[in-house]
Amino acid sequence: MPAKSIRAEYLKGLWQENPVFRQLLGMCPTLAVTGAVINGIAMGLATSFVLIFSSLVISSIKKLIPSQVRIACYVVIIATFVTMADRFLAAFFLPISKSLGPYVPLIVVNCIILGRQEAFSSKNSVGRSLIDALGMSSGFVLALLILSSIREILGSGTFLGHQVMGAWFKPWLIMIFPSGAFITLGILLAIALVIESKAKQRR
Amino acid sequence: MNLSSRMVIVLTSVGLISGSFLASVGLLTKERIALNRQQETEAAIVTVVPGTTNSQIVYEEEGFTVYEGKEDNGNLAGFAIYASGTGFQGKITLMYGTDSSMTKIKFLTIIEQRETPGLGSKITDVEAFLRYWENKDMSSSLTLHKPAASSPEELAPTEVNTITGATISSEKVLEIVNLSLERLRNLKKEGKLSSEEQDAS
Repeated sequence: MPAKSIRAEYLKGLWQENPVFRQLLGMCPTLAVTGAVINGIAMGLATSFVLIFSSLVISSIKKLIPSQVRIACYVVIIATFVTMADRFLAAFFLPISKSLGPYVPLIVVNCIILGRQEAFSSKNSVGRSLIDALGMSSGFVLALLILSSIREILGSGTFLGHQVMGAWFKPWLIMIFPSGAFITLGILLAIALVIESKAKQRR
Repeated sequence: MNLSSRMVIVLTSVGLISGSFLASVGLLTKERIALNRQQETEAAIVTVVPGTTNSQIVYEEEGFTVYEGKEDNGNLAGFAIYASGTGFQGKITLMYGTDSSMTKIKFLTIIEQRETPGLGSKITDVEAFLRYWENKDMSSSLTLHKPAASSPEELAPTEVNTITGATISSEKVLEIVNLSLERLRNLKKEGKLSSEEQDAS
């Protein structure tokens, strides 16, 4: 594998290998919690915390883990960080913890995290794994931010709870429903594909 | 060292280290979480029984607690009823306040819920849901007004509103309240709640 520059290693998570728009990973939280921007951001940050620390730990002990039990080890380590994040939110950020409800414990099964351990951290140095995790986290937060902004503005007429649409605006209830999440995600994926194919033609 | 013993050792130590980390995180946050819960209960009592400065438990059983709220001067401000039950996706815990003679529900507040974010979670929204619960008659079971009314004036004193798109969550809250109202009426009949009796004893 040709060594990428650190910059490229980070940037690939934002666009080229964006977990949501390009890899279609982690769809459960992406679709479920993006009805409001604050939930999207909180979910993005909680997932980032788990991803970054799991990558750090797993890349540093990768040589000790026999490959037959690697997945079991990854899951235990990931679950540890998820539980830490869950307790931390419940202790210090009660309103956010309440609005995310069951989706914080569900970060355990977010395939971005397990996917990055299997595809990257188990084969690369600690430093590179950290950069990769930072890039993927930023890409995930960015994707949730875009999706939740569109859904909250159209679905409730608000952004971060502040009214942004005038009184004439009638909220599109469908955007709050799961179907609205699928429709928005589909349109965003199509836009991402168009941009990508245009960029390829130019190359 | 052969492979299987290595696998056992690695998995066991990963588990042990993770476990001890979690135990310490649990210890560190336990107090804070318990404090949050207690503050929440106290704040909820003040919300549902305005004017309360001092509250105490008058009756308690699993998932159902009755608090008595007293004003500064010792007068009875009302009762706060804490009740819980199953919602659409998980447990719903709520609290409502009554007047001092237990004839009307004054206010309702949701303490804990795991309903669908953005839909069922609207049961915590004052504008959309909670304000439709003010001043409801406690003498019989309440019913749901469908389709959703747009202002509290449209509802009868025994009716509460539905949330558009979250009928099940609205029904579940109603179910929890109706069930606790029934318990409350029985307790009252048995004389277990009368504060005069408590004062005498």
